[in-house]
Amino acid sequence: MTVNGLMKAALIATVGFAGVARAEETVVWWDFLGGGDGVRMKKMIEDFNAAHAGQVRIDATTLEWGTPFYAKVQTSAAVGEAPDLMTYHASRIPLAVQQGVLQEITAEDWAAMGLSSADFAPATWDAVSIDGKQYAVPLDTHPIVLYYNKDLLAAAGMLDENGLPKGLDSREGFTATLQALKDNGVTFPLGSVTADGNFMFRTIYSLMGQQGGSLMTAGEFLAGDNGEKLANALGVLADWTKAGLQSTYTDYPATVALFTSGEAAMMINGVWEVPTMTDLAAQGKLFNWGAVELPVIFDQPATYADSHAFAIPANEGKEMTPEKRAAVLAVMSWMSKNSLFWATAGHIPANGAVTASDEYKALEPNATYSSLTANMIFDPKTPLAGVAGPIFDVMSTYFVPTLNGEMDPAEAVEAIKEELNAL
Amino acid sequence: MLTNRRKDALVAAVLVAPFLAIYLLVFVWPTIQMFGISFTDAPLIGSGEWVGLDNYARLDSDPRFRTAAWNTAYFVLLTVLPGTVVALLIALGVARLKGRLQAAVLALFFLPYILPVSVVYLIWDWVLNFQFGILMHVFDLLGIDRIPITKSRTWFMPAVGIVTIWWTAGFSILLFLAGLRSIPAEIYEAAALDSAGRWTTFRRITWPLLWPVTTLVFTIQLIAQLKIFDQVYLFSQGGRPNDNVVLVYYVFQRAFQQDQGGRAAAVAVTLFVLVVVVSVLQFTLLRMAGGRR
Repeated sequence: MTVNGLMKAALIATVGFAGVARAEETVVWWDFLGGGDGVRMKKMIEDFNAAHAGQVRIDATTLEWGTPFYAKVQTSAAVGEAPDLMTYHASRIPLAVQQGVLQEITAEDWAAMGLSSADFAPATWDAVSIDGKQYAVPLDTHPIVLYYNKDLLAAAGMLDENGLPKGLDSREGFTATLQALKDNGVTFPLGSVTADGNFMFRTIYSLMGQQGGSLMTAGEFLAGDNGEKLANALGVLADWTKAGLQSTYTDYPATVALFTSGEAAMMINGVWEVPTMTDLAAQGKLFNWGAVELPVIFDQPATYADSHAFAIPANEGKEMTPEKRAAVLAVMSWMSKNSLFWATAGHIPANGAVTASDEYKALEPNATYSSLTANMIFDPKTPLAGVAGPIFDVMSTYFVPTLNGEMDPAEAVEAIKEELNAL
Repeated sequence: MLTNRRKDALVAAVLVAPFLAIYLLVFVWPTIQMFGISFTDAPLIGSGEWVGLDNYARLDSDPRFRTAAWNTAYFVLLTVLPGTVVALLIALGVARLKGRLQAAVLALFFLPYILPVSVVYLIWDWVLNFQFGILMHVFDLLGIDRIPITKSRTWFMPAVGIVTIWWTAGFSILLFLAGLRSIPAEIYEAAALDSAGRWTTFRRITWPLLWPVTTLVFTIQLIAQLKIFDQVYLFSQGGRPNDNVVLVYYVFQRAFQQDQGGRAAAVAVTLFVLVVVVSVLQFTLLRMAGGRR
């Protein structure tokens, strides 16, 4: 009798709560933005919630970037416990579609958001499309750039009249700049994440792109002279190590610390570290700094980029209500249209209307490195690609020994080729 | 009398039932499923096609599996026996202390054991980091070349082994201490009356009477270290995980990074069999060795 009464009370309470909740749609949100850009995103979420009080509320959680995030998404979607909305790397979409983790963004959805392919660069749109269907709404593209310490470069006489590092146009020129810094007493002319092969994929893939090389052609890895081009890319970095021009066995946080503490004069890193620099500079704790497109070490400029996008998980056995879907679409649309603030996190907004605005064009350091948008290269489109994916994993095994002078580049390429083609 | 016994059995069954139900549901059943999945090409989520023994056959020619197996064996070698010896030595030392001092010293040795592995990693990264580690500054002072300890193949396992012993010795020390306390004082008094030396007392009394505890500590260590994952995962993050991979880490890579549930299960089954065989063998051998005394 008492149990029965209790259950009835619980039932009434549940129904009562549901009735109240209907007035405001809660969108459960997962992201992996743990760095300086995550702080920007939290501000955007607050702004959205303030603008939609009483209608839609974002309930956001930040999870660990990389394998932990994607493993959790996959397992939670399988049991219907995934969020309503999440951030996703465009490079991982082929794998996600194969795993059935994502819902398609339909033509009606795009219409409801007031967005279309015309709002995005063709390469960005292509990055979220599989077989003509879209699976995510691009938020940004985030390339890697060359950060530099203006004070140290100026002291070594390596700053040109525009305040940019000298020697950005050739391998010899850039090596000479590094050497000049070394001769001027800089411990590490270039701070490199040499302990983390996963990270170095971005730099090395860019250097391959600068030779017109590609990782995958017609389903085969490193076919033809692409192996040689990878060896060349590795060779440049290995030579810098040999000459003592870059930091060795350095992990990601240490690299950033070497640069911000002035021990490394330059650093190749993602634009997502821009907020770290602007925030430190605002507190008066940083030297004069800049960020510029990667130097052209080989024949043509090329920079690796990936894209952050929003995606809707395919929750197994849990249909999304039309109201909920409308709320999710409203969030994605608002985020895309208001991504100017996201650009202060260093990223290049994917929405063309935002990048065409005068405010964006005046934004620094984005304006300095925006020239690279014409030279961006993305991951090969295969379920094996993507951050923390199998290709990353295989290549990283051989990058670390090569970059620290333990292994010959040609030997590394042979091993990589063999392992990749065995995938 | 008979009814009582029946009642007892019923009470026992009721008391054991919750544990048994949970044990069957979350341990035995998944284990059976793991064996099943290891014969399929299933991804991480969902089922796959039957492939027979393919997943096991592939292990033979899989260089990463070989690396993982070798690293695991190496790690066991570096930690199990040294860890047991270190714990025994510390326990013998602590046992000589009295009262509050003993409690305080024991607490110091036990403290690392209560730390979560992530904290252990952070503490040791501050010590060992190639760019900023305290130890590197000591090296600089002594004029020794810096060593990228957690980034080099040579130093990684020994370093993680030492950290693991530092971290887990506290528990083994407690076990040894309990064992030492259960040895009656009269035996030592008798030995002292017979003017037995320190070494003889240890060899003839402490060591044989402590043997069951030593066996237990050794076995617990062996099983724990065969299943090593956390420390290796944390220390090789942002480094070279594929050179430092151990068996459980390899299961994780196959399942969560490569999305190959079937192949991951095959590795897990192999490890499962390995742990069972090694620990049973080891425990029996040690008991036999003890029995002969």
